[in-house]
Amino acid sequence: MTAQTALVDKAPQFKHSQPVRDTARTSRRAKYLLTVLAFLLPSAIPLAIFVLGPMIAAAWVSLNQWNLLAPMKFVGLGNYVGLLQDPQTGSVFLNTAYYVAGYLPLVYFGGLALALALNTALKGRSLLRGVYFLPVITSWIVVALVWRWLLSPSNGIVNTVLAWVGIQGPGWWTDPAWSMPSIILASAWKDLGFVMVILLAGLQAIPTDMYDAAKVDGAGPWRRLISVTLPLLSPSTFFVIIISLVNGFQVFDQIYAMTGGGPDGSSESVVEQIYDFTFRYGRAGDASALSWMLFIVILAVTLIQIRGQRRWVTYG
Amino acid sequence: MADATIAIRTRARWAARTPASRRGLVIAIILHVAIIGGALAMFFPFLWTLITSITPGANLTSTPALIPANPSFGAYAKLFSDLPFAQVILNSLLLASVTTAVQLFTSSTAAYAFSRLPFRGQNVVFAIYLATMMIPLQVLIVPLFVELKTFGLLDTYLGALLPTFASAFGIFLLRQAINQVPRELDEAATIDGAGHFRIFGQVILPNIRPALATLVVFSFMSSWNSFLWPLIVLRSPQLQTLPIALAGLQGQYISQWDVIMAGSVVSILPMLALYVFAQKYVIQGVASSGIK
Amino acid sequence: MKRKLVGALAVAGVAALVMTGCASNPPKADSGPVTITYTNFISAGANEGNLKKIVDAFEKANPDITVQVKTIPYSGYATAQQTDLAAGTASDVFDIDGLSNYQSLEANGQLAELKGVDGKVYNSGLLDTYQTDGKQYALPTSFSDVVLYYNKDLFDAAGVSYPTSSWTWADETAAATKITDKAKGIWGDHQPVTYNEYYKALVQNGASFLSKDGKKAAFDTPAGLEAAKWLVDKSGTTMPTIKQGQGTADFDTNLFAAGKLAMLHTGTWVFGNFAKVPFKWDIAVEPGNTKSASAVFSNGIGVYAQSKHLAAAQKWAVYMSSSNEEVNVRLDTGWELPTISDSAKLATYLNKGAPANRQAVFDAAKQIAQSPSLGANSQAIQDAMTAALIEAQSGRETVQQALDSAKTKIDALLAG
Repeated sequence: MTAQTALVDKAPQFKHSQPVRDTARTSRRAKYLLTVLAFLLPSAIPLAIFVLGPMIAAAWVSLNQWNLLAPMKFVGLGNYVGLLQDPQTGSVFLNTAYYVAGYLPLVYFGGLALALALNTALKGRSLLRGVYFLPVITSWIVVALVWRWLLSPSNGIVNTVLAWVGIQGPGWWTDPAWSMPSIILASAWKDLGFVMVILLAGLQAIPTDMYDAAKVDGAGPWRRLISVTLPLLSPSTFFVIIISLVNGFQVFDQIYAMTGGGPDGSSESVVEQIYDFTFRYGRAGDASALSWMLFIVILAVTLIQIRGQRRWVTYG
Repeated sequence: MADATIAIRTRARWAARTPASRRGLVIAIILHVAIIGGALAMFFPFLWTLITSITPGANLTSTPALIPANPSFGAYAKLFSDLPFAQVILNSLLLASVTTAVQLFTSSTAAYAFSRLPFRGQNVVFAIYLATMMIPLQVLIVPLFVELKTFGLLDTYLGALLPTFASAFGIFLLRQAINQVPRELDEAATIDGAGHFRIFGQVILPNIRPALATLVVFSFMSSWNSFLWPLIVLRSPQLQTLPIALAGLQGQYISQWDVIMAGSVVSILPMLALYVFAQKYVIQGVASSGIK
Repeated sequence: MKRKLVGALAVAGVAALVMTGCASNPPKADSGPVTITYTNFISAGANEGNLKKIVDAFEKANPDITVQVKTIPYSGYATAQQTDLAAGTASDVFDIDGLSNYQSLEANGQLAELKGVDGKVYNSGLLDTYQTDGKQYALPTSFSDVVLYYNKDLFDAAGVSYPTSSWTWADETAAATKITDKAKGIWGDHQPVTYNEYYKALVQNGASFLSKDGKKAAFDTPAGLEAAKWLVDKSGTTMPTIKQGQGTADFDTNLFAAGKLAMLHTGTWVFGNFAKVPFKWDIAVEPGNTKSASAVFSNGIGVYAQSKHLAAAQKWAVYMSSSNEEVNVRLDTGWELPTISDSAKLATYLNKGAPANRQAVFDAAKQIAQSPSLGANSQAIQDAMTAALIEAQSGRETVQQALDSAKTKIDALLAG
C-alpha cells in the first residue's frame, strides 16, 4: 500500500486529492480483464463443465474399485499401487511409446513431402490433394479391413509383391513382433492427408517474397527449404508434433479394429487396456487410475515440447 | 515418319538442356510417378469399398474380387429400406453443422485471447486447455453420461452437442495461426481507434482464413464420424446418427458387408465435398511458394 | 402417542404379511395405462420391422401397456448397457447378451426375479441357463448352436461315410485325415481354437473347465490336455494354420463355401451363406469323445431390478420370448430360432430346405455343454484361455505349457 492510498483509507476528506491516473488505470485494468474473460468464457465454460468436471470425477473413481454395476468401494491409492506393480502396465506403456516413436516421424516427414510436392504448380494437384485426404475421412472400420487384407500373411498384396522380389514377407499381424509395425504403417498411411492439410495451410502463409529474397541471395532449392520454408513452417510443425503426440499416446480405434491388442498383448495400447478394464473386465477404478498415469506422461512430454519450442519455433 | 521427327526433336531438346535442368526434369518425373503411385495407394481402399458395395451378398473374402460377378446397386437401396437412412443423414448433418459453427466461435475467441491478450497465468491456463485433450473419452464417458442425466439432456440433440462445443484442438490450431499474423496490423488498427473486438473481427479473422477453413473441415469430420458419445447419449431411433446406423448393420453373428460398404461410401461423399470446397479458402492465390 | 405407535406397528405387521403372501405370485399389475421401455440389440440392422410386428401384436393384446423400443447396434450394446446401469437409466426391459452377461448382471443385483413364469413353455436347457439358485432372473429369447457341417461331395470322392450320431473324435479325425489333400488345397476339418470351443471339448471328453465348487480351473488333467490337443493339433494337419489365414473373419465359411473344406464346426447362423453352393452338404450333431454335448449360444431378456413397472415389464419379457406371434415372426423371416419346447410349432422351420437334417439343430440343444460360471472376471478369463490356446497353436509354447500358464492366470482371476 502506497502512502497515497494509505491516506485515502484513513481520511476520506483527502479523496479528492487522489490522482485521476489511479482510477483510470484500475478501471482500464478491469475493462481489460473483462475483455479477456469475454474472449475466454465461450470456450472455458463448455470445457470446464464437460471435460474438466468429468476429469475430476474420473480422478475420484480412480480412488475406488467399481464395476459400474455395484456401488463403489474406496481403496485410496490401491489401484495405482496395483497398476505400478503389474508388469502388464509397463508393457502397455512400452507398446504405446513404441507406436508413437514409429508413427510420428513417418507421418510428419511423409506429410511434409506431400505438402511440399502438392504446393507446387503440379498438374491435377487439387485432385491429388483430395485423394490423399480420402483415408483421413474414412472410418477405421473400413481402413482396418483393407489393411488386414493388404497385410494378410498368406495372400495379401504386400507379401505377394515381396515374394516377387524374393523376400519372405513377415506374418504381419499374426506375429507379435510385427503387429505394432503393421498398426504404425496403417496409421501413418491414414493420417498422411491430415498432416498434409495442416502443413499446406502453413506453407500458404509463407509470403513469396521470402523465397524471392533467398533466390536473389543465390540459395538453391535445398537451401531454401532449410533456411526459409522449415523455419517459417515451424508453428505448423509444432502443432503437428503436439497433436500427434497427444493423439498417438491415446491410440485406440485402430488397435480395437485391427488386432484387439494381440497377438499375445503385443499391440495392447494404454487406452485399449483402459477400455478393456472399463467395459470388459469391470475394473473402472483401475481404468481411471491408468488414464491419470497416461495423462501425466502426455503432459510431461507436451511440456518438454513447449519448453523446447522457444529454440526452434519462429512466428512470422 | 512423323514418329521419327518427334523422336529426333525430343532428343534434340534433351541435348539442348543443361545438366542441372536435366537433373531437375528427372527429379520432377520421379516425383510425379511417386505421387501418383502414392495416390493410387490412397485411393485403393476407397475403390475396394466401392466394389464391395456393388457386390451383392459380399463376404469378407481374403482376396476381394476386383470385378464383381453380378454388380448391382441393391445395397444402396437396402440402406434406405433397412434403416431410416434419410433421417440418419439429416441428424448427422445437423449435429456436424452446429458443432462446426460453435467450434469456430469458441476456438477463435479463445485463440485470440491466448495470442493477443496477455494476462497473468496465461501459460497455465493454456496448459489446462491442452490438458483437456489428454484424457481419453473412454474414461470420461461414464461421468459425462451421469452429468447429462442430471441436466435431463439424455436422448436429446443438445445432450449430444454440448460436450463438443469447445475443442482444445481447434483453439490450439487457431492460436498458431493468429500468432503468425503480424502485430503491425493490430497496431495499425489500434491507432485507428479500434478496440479488441474490432481487431478480432476485422483484422485477425480475415487473415486466418486458411486455418479457419481447415478447422471447418476437421470439426465437421470429427462430429460426422463420431461414434462412442452419440451411441451412449442418443437412443431414440429418430435421433441416431450415421456411424451408429452403420454399426447396426454389423450383426451379432453375421454382417451385411455390401450394405455396410454402401453406407461408408455415402458417408464419405459429403465430407469429401466439404473438403474440396474448403480447399478454395486454403489456397491463397497461385501456389508459387513451393520449391522450384 | 402410544396409540400411534401401536397403529404403526399394526400397519407394519399387516404389510409384512401381505408381502410374504406375494412371494410366489407374479407382481401386481399397475392400474391404468403404463409405458415401458425396451432396449434391444436383437433387431438391430435388419429386423427392426419384425420387432415392430411383435410389439404391435403385444400392444393390441394389452391395450393399457405401451412399449417404447430403443435399438442399439450390437457392437456398442455392452458399452451402452453398462453406462445405463452405472447411471441408473436402464430401460424397464432389456436384452441380455448370453450367459456371461446374464451372470454379471444377476451377481450385481440388476435383474428382477421373474415369478410365476410357466417354465414348460421353454426349452429346459435354455431356461436353466438364465436361472440362479432355482430362481428365474431372465428368459431365453433366441438361440443358435454349433453343429458339424460336412461337404457330401468331398466325402463321396474320398470314399468316406457321412458323420452319424454315434461318431466320436477318432471317427472325425480318421475321416478328416483321409480327405485332406494339401496339394489340392483340400482340408478335412476346421474348428476354431478358442475358449468357447475348449470348454465344450472338455465336456465332450468327460472333463470340466472349472472344479465342482467353481473356484479353481480344472482342465489341467490328462483329459483336459487331450481336449486341448484335439483343437490345437488340427492346425497344419487337417486345417490351415494361422499364417495361412485361419482365425480371420469368415475364413472358415469362405473355405467351406469354396468347396475346399470337408467338415466345419460353426454356428447355425451361417446356413444362408451356403444356400447357393454347387455341392451337396448337410449337418450333424458334433461328435463328442466320451460324451455328446454341444455349444449353445442364446440371448436373453430381463427386467431391470429398479423398474417401476415390474408387472408390465415381465408381461412383455414373456411375450417377447415365447408368444405364438414371436415364434411365427422368427420362423417366417429366419430371424434366429425361438426358444420354445413345442416341436409342433417349429415344423415350418424343419421343412425349409437345405440342410436336410435341421432336426440336428434342436437335438444339439438337448445336450448342452453348459458354459461355466466364471464370475466377475468372466471376460478376462475367456481372453486368457483363448490367448493361451493360440500360443500353443502358433507353436510358441507346447500345449502343456500353454495350459499351465492359463491355469495360473485363471486361478488368480477366479479368486478375484
